[in-house]
Amino acid sequence: MSAVRPRWSNALFVAPFLFFYLTLLIWPLLAGMALSLFKADLFGGRAFVGFENFARLMRDRVFLQAVANTFYFVLLSVPPLTVLPLFLALLLNKGGRLAAFFRGVFFSSSVLSVTIVTLIWRMILMPDGGFIADVRALFGAAAIPFLSDPRLVMISMAIITVWWCLGLPMMLYLAALQQVPKDIYEAAALDNASWWKTLWSITLPSLYRTVALVAIFQVVLQFQLFGQPQLITQGGPNGASRPIVLFIFEVGFRRWDIGYAAAASQILFAIILIATVVQYAVSSRGKASA
Amino acid sequence: MKKLLVLALAVLALAGCAPKDSRTHITLQRFFGECRANVPKGKPPLRNPDGECEVITRLLDQFRQQNPDIDLSVNIVAWPGYDQLSAEYAAGDPPDIAIMHQSAMPDYQKRGLIAPLDADFRQAGIDPADFTPAARQGVTIDGHVYGMPFDNWMQLWHINTALFARAGLMKDGQPVLPHSPDELIQQARQFKARTGLPYLIQATANEQASYTRNLYTYLMDQHAVFFTDPKHIRLDTPEARRVVDLFRRMYAEGLMTHDQDYPAATQAFLNGQGGVYQVGTWMIGTFTSESETPGHPLYRAYTVKPYPMLYGSAPTAYVDGHAWVMPTRPRTPAQKEAVLRLMKFLQQHDFDWSRTGHLPSQIQVAQSAQYLALPHRRDIIGLATVGRQLPHDIQRQFAISDIIGDEMASAVTGHKPTEQALQDAQRRVNDLLYNLI
Amino acid sequence: MSPRNARTLRDGLTLIVLIALGLVMLTPLIWTVMLSLKSNGELLRSTANAFHGPWTLENYGTILKNSQVFRWLMNSAIVSGCTTIGVLVLSSLAGYGFSRVEFPGRDALFLFVLFGLAIPEQAVIITRHQMFSFLHLHNSYPGLILPGLSAPFGVFLMTQYFRAIPKELDEAALLDNASRLKVFWKVLLPLTVPAQATLGIFTFLASWNDYWWPLISATRADMFTLTVGLASSQINFAQTSGLGYLMTQAVFAAVPILIVYVIFQKYIVKAVSGAAVR
Repeated sequence: MSAVRPRWSNALFVAPFLFFYLTLLIWPLLAGMALSLFKADLFGGRAFVGFENFARLMRDRVFLQAVANTFYFVLLSVPPLTVLPLFLALLLNKGGRLAAFFRGVFFSSSVLSVTIVTLIWRMILMPDGGFIADVRALFGAAAIPFLSDPRLVMISMAIITVWWCLGLPMMLYLAALQQVPKDIYEAAALDNASWWKTLWSITLPSLYRTVALVAIFQVVLQFQLFGQPQLITQGGPNGASRPIVLFIFEVGFRRWDIGYAAAASQILFAIILIATVVQYAVSSRGKASA
Repeated sequence: MKKLLVLALAVLALAGCAPKDSRTHITLQRFFGECRANVPKGKPPLRNPDGECEVITRLLDQFRQQNPDIDLSVNIVAWPGYDQLSAEYAAGDPPDIAIMHQSAMPDYQKRGLIAPLDADFRQAGIDPADFTPAARQGVTIDGHVYGMPFDNWMQLWHINTALFARAGLMKDGQPVLPHSPDELIQQARQFKARTGLPYLIQATANEQASYTRNLYTYLMDQHAVFFTDPKHIRLDTPEARRVVDLFRRMYAEGLMTHDQDYPAATQAFLNGQGGVYQVGTWMIGTFTSESETPGHPLYRAYTVKPYPMLYGSAPTAYVDGHAWVMPTRPRTPAQKEAVLRLMKFLQQHDFDWSRTGHLPSQIQVAQSAQYLALPHRRDIIGLATVGRQLPHDIQRQFAISDIIGDEMASAVTGHKPTEQALQDAQRRVNDLLYNLI
Repeated sequence: MSPRNARTLRDGLTLIVLIALGLVMLTPLIWTVMLSLKSNGELLRSTANAFHGPWTLENYGTILKNSQVFRWLMNSAIVSGCTTIGVLVLSSLAGYGFSRVEFPGRDALFLFVLFGLAIPEQAVIITRHQMFSFLHLHNSYPGLILPGLSAPFGVFLMTQYFRAIPKELDEAALLDNASRLKVFWKVLLPLTVPAQATLGIFTFLASWNDYWWPLISATRADMFTLTVGLASSQINFAQTSGLGYLMTQAVFAAVPILIVYVIFQKYIVKAVSGAAVR
């Protein structure tokens, strides 16, 4: 490794981004933390209450249920969203129109907005008149209450989310695969390495960083689940599909109790931060030094 | 750098919207959608003339034509528009006149965000005594009038009379309706036995408001006082339990549809898959036109009635409505006069709005032959007098409605015992009200 | 089984799997397009009516006759385009800074930026709105573009991709006395084109479909983005009485992104003859 002297002027590369980061993300975050210590109304009334909002959250059965729901959802959705796109990227990392066509197919679901995704999937999953119910009826089977049984509703949300979101991780993996130097593959081919061996010894290790990145990003993203349950089930049935962000939204935007909502967002932030740090630490230790 | 940018933008903005004419500028904010394709500018609707969007678009076009000294810009937002409105208040820039639900007015009134209009109405020659009782109650808070009522709406029993006939529930051309919970169960069972279909079509999935309105109506039917004061609700009462258990029983016995959301329930009724559909005034137009189209399941098989009273005898129902309000903001006397002129214009055209199916807010219209000649209106107009809202010192009614509906949905579909659902609803609503500033 | 037969079998199986999964992906989209070609009235009675004619383009006509839809399209294009360019520039520079050059506190600063990944939008949206009210930035393009520039995902992504490039390439250029900036511009940036294209598509998409921030910041109809504008033009209960129109909006809003995808995607996977996994 060549000797590189640390220089302040080198920080100029990161300065532009940092400016926006500090003013538009960190500052509002700090203001939000301050807000969580107040009982505040959207239109100006406020009273300092210290940690009472947090104490109230710990007593709030609806909030606690939302936290449990969110963890469950992350466990259901992140593994498929990390692995399935990888599998697809490996299959589609080749030239030719057929591969390009399929890449487009698997990306196409991601261009839709959440409003449309939920509308369509509602029509597929609704036990009364939905697509799956109609097909099952052809075979004489009863409809499955995907969206009205508390035990099934989060699984339905996970299915919808995986369908919607797998395009982007797939693109990330494809981009990473492109960066694997071709001569490594050629060397392997010369050695008559089998397809399987190439996959395990060369391709996957070189994708390690990207897999870690995708996993972290999916965890961060899916902890913030919001649009799907808001639009399909409004958090029901019986609160089984209410995630934390929907709770925050209902409290902040519908009940105008923004101090309480800010407190809940701080808790969500802490949860995501811990999850991200743990994942990053684990993946940093695992990767070979650059 | 940013300041320069802001300054540059401010200059551009000012340059862009500096009025080049001497007209008075006011902004109106509404929902109901956009339908210029159906209503060309300045002309009558080409299609669907009784739709909410078409009627209001036409009315505002006419106002513009009749008032060339006013420059009216219309900001259309997605229903119900409160997120934008709140954001606009927070940014210090609310519209000059906005449409609002009568049940949402207390929140804005309490914070001084909408202006009392008694003096302004007197000056403009608008008399609240001309409003229907339900409308007047809807816009009066603390003894003052805060808006121009546009309509009242409520849920109704939309009935498939052909299926009722098959079930033996028609008499002299009118549907036989229950007068007690037991009669309801008995008639529902009879309906199911003879037609094989559920008596009641109800959205149970992804639905909250409908449950709450049902509960309120039947609590009013029992003269139950469920808001003891503006900060406390009492739901763990025998009256509430009776209502929830009734619906719960109907669900359990298959006398009510299962697992439908609003679109599915609407389709079910349109396709003749149930006897009664509990939905609002806004569907009267659609169902009426179905009933006039040969070959469709509802052909000549539709009527609509207020909720039958099951516990007392005096008719009543929970109602809500729309009203035009004047957000508090600095404005010139000319702008204020323009807003009042617009409100008066809308009042004078209340009949046009009532073609959408909502009940009129003006007594004169409600009693007019023209209005009563519209399909089915005679059956429901009584609600403009006896319909009641929640007391107007209760805030956050939308949020309360969502909580109650959420718990009721769990109870009716059998996921939670009735008692627990009512206790949870009570606790959550009281908690919300307690924590209001 | 001979190696060639094994390969053919694998190819065949792969194709079957891809077709099956592809159908699962595409069926809902085809359904959307089919629904958009039916009138609202027919769909109100039954969505199964979409399976047979008559079909109509009236919903598309309705959108196009909306007086402001082209304005909204332009707003979205400007906002998403500027956000994408801004993010690509800022993230590439910062990614290079965090991976290739040294300055005091670099690693700690990177962790600080990583920390930002965990911040949910809900934690900042209200206070950010208050801040923008104070700065009079609402109902303006900067108001819609600036928040997107503060997201750390792009920086994280570019840092990881830069780190994957062997350092020997830098060193060769540095030996020729090239400045850091030149190394960045001439040597490394071209190697990250796939990552840039991916980040570009991702940023454009997130910005295009963003709903809540544009809803509460751009409240005047002439500043609406396409997603907010189309939502505002829906009648009440559009899911029942306006389904055809709703679906047409979906198609209309999706077309520009698909165009962007088609343009950008060829930079992601160049022809890879011989270098494929199999």
